[in-house]
Amino acid sequence: MTKAKTLVSSIAFACLLSTGLTTLAVAAECSGTIKVLAQPRDGLTLLEDYKSEFEKLSGGASFEIDYLNENDRRAKTKADASTIGKYNVYYIDEANVALFASAGWVAPLMDYYPAEYDYADFDPGRQKVATYDGKVWFAPITGGGDLMVYRKDLLEAAGIAPPKTLDEYIAAVKKLNQPDQGIYGTALRGQRGSGANVWRWMPLFKGFGGNWFDGKTPVFDGEQAVKATETYLELFKYSAPGSQTGGWDEAVGAFTSGQVAMLIESTPLVGMAIDPKSSKVAGKVGYLPPPAPLTGGGYGHGLAIGTKANKDEASKACAGLFIAWATSKENETRRLEANQFSELNRTSIMTAPKFAELYGPDLGQALADTGKVTAVNFWQSPQWPDLGDRWGIILEELITGTRTDIKEGLDELDGFAKDLVARSQ
Amino acid sequence: MKQKNSLPAVFLTPAIGILAVLALVPTAYAIYISFQNRELSRPDGSFVGFANYADLFSDRRFINAIGVSLTWEAVTVGMTLLIAVGLGILLFECVSPRMRNLLALLFLVPVILPRVSAAFVWKFAFHPLYGIATYPYKAITGEPLDLLSNPATALATVALVDVWQWGLFFAVIVLKLLETLPPQPFEAARLDHARTFEIYAFIALPMLKAPLISLAFVKMIESLRAFDLIYVMTRGGPGIATETLDMYAFSQGFIESGRISYASSMAVLMMIATTIAFTFIWKRVQ
Repeated sequence: MTKAKTLVSSIAFACLLSTGLTTLAVAAECSGTIKVLAQPRDGLTLLEDYKSEFEKLSGGASFEIDYLNENDRRAKTKADASTIGKYNVYYIDEANVALFASAGWVAPLMDYYPAEYDYADFDPGRQKVATYDGKVWFAPITGGGDLMVYRKDLLEAAGIAPPKTLDEYIAAVKKLNQPDQGIYGTALRGQRGSGANVWRWMPLFKGFGGNWFDGKTPVFDGEQAVKATETYLELFKYSAPGSQTGGWDEAVGAFTSGQVAMLIESTPLVGMAIDPKSSKVAGKVGYLPPPAPLTGGGYGHGLAIGTKANKDEASKACAGLFIAWATSKENETRRLEANQFSELNRTSIMTAPKFAELYGPDLGQALADTGKVTAVNFWQSPQWPDLGDRWGIILEELITGTRTDIKEGLDELDGFAKDLVARSQ
Repeated sequence: MKQKNSLPAVFLTPAIGILAVLALVPTAYAIYISFQNRELSRPDGSFVGFANYADLFSDRRFINAIGVSLTWEAVTVGMTLLIAVGLGILLFECVSPRMRNLLALLFLVPVILPRVSAAFVWKFAFHPLYGIATYPYKAITGEPLDLLSNPATALATVALVDVWQWGLFFAVIVLKLLETLPPQPFEAARLDHARTFEIYAFIALPMLKAPLISLAFVKMIESLRAFDLIYVMTRGGPGIATETLDMYAFSQGFIESGRISYASSMAVLMMIATTIAFTFIWKRVQ
């Protein structure tokens, strides 16, 4: 009996010792500075107030976040990941996850994401865009679909019911456009880029039944793309000045400053539009899913583990721990309390009583409804940024009038796509 | 005597060594990879000979970028020198020496501003709804003025910011050069009833020919590096209306495609073209 007790005690001690050593090893590996390359997000800025919490959790590691705006962040992450690999954690998004994953610039997240942080709690749509080739590559920091956001006061004054179809939407935009009174019908994105003008054009293209590829053959050069482009250009006649070469910032800025009647934009717009700190029209804003047959542009941005800067398993685990902590329920709760609507990604947070208390039951319903029409509109391929950016340039030329023939532009893109596929083989 | 002869080598060797590492190694590497088909996402590449160079001449964006770069060079260098000479003479003729010093100080402020900051300030100033520079037009006509979204005005608008930075700075230099000239030729010309225009056109400016040519060369080199200004203000748009060669090369290398070999072939061609052009101009001037 004594021998058995001694044996059990020895095994227990050995287990305890090995666990302790493992913990010590991780703590020792996590003692440096985790370098993060990201784009500005309120949620990440908030994290910086809790650096000491992460230091304690990781056994002494700290973190440092460098911020660049979206286009620059995309260029810099690509350049860094393919060359020197200075950053341990990259902020990547739905448009380049395939490129980063297939090039081996990021590691499969779930291999290093501690199970207790409950990845399955993230919104299923965001999980979907974070997945490529059957593996999860990033933990969402923002994401969602589209909502039609409108000025209730202007629609009521004009006797217009919130549009349910695209035809009704176009008619309403035309009627509400009153430049002489400083009100524009809508605000679109004209700036070149797969995440800019192409992003807002794609719901029309997919809504009209368009497709990018059939296997490796481009099939987008058809009547759906022509119709989508014609409609987009038609709507641009009623779009706020500055949006012809502007992106998200210009479109959202025009709406929140009270110069736009209605627009279809990514869901974070609602959080900004109803917040009196960032909006002159808070209290006058309504929101609904995009009018039929438009599909919502499903997107997700998040944090991924860089492979070059994290040469060994311990470094990858450390980066995984940082990502898990940064996107944890605790930190999302803090973002909710700080009224950072666009930074919320977990189902448990979006269904919490505090969420309904802050944003009302309508927004929760609108998000649920728009989830039903949210789709992956872009071509899920490592070559997508290249193709999308090329179409962005042609589309910007069409918007600003340096090119007028839509079909010719699509034919040029078709040739480019064929060349792109040939080069990738 | 022997020691005296080896002194230049002692001083030159470290400088040439540093230059070789910093300039020649990247240049040689750029030439090397321009003959390959390397992309950022695929580090392995094979030699493709002159295929990248051949592709460039059927690439409409490259052809457009050559035109934009030449226009940018001509407009910014020409306008900067015109403004600098005009303003320099105006200050020399019409302003008291004490006031000149104060204005010179003010004229130096734009060039001290970091280019990216200046670009952001002016981008906002040209905003059709909120911009201070477009406000008078909007107030008078009731119509917004969107200069950066118009392909016909975008390049000129960005060039205006470049000229604002460098034209005022060069005006100060021209003013100080005029102050160093001896007064006797001017007095003699005035005694002969020469008009002010004639004094400057036939006496002052010919006397300043050498420093003005140097200023032109400095500006030509500076204008080749306008990437930051254009990138912030228009990103090469609308469409490709303000896309210069360096911007297109960067775009191909890092923003859109990751085609570093293709981008390198552009960089190599730019290097060859600028070397030939500058050598030719330099020889002509001499």
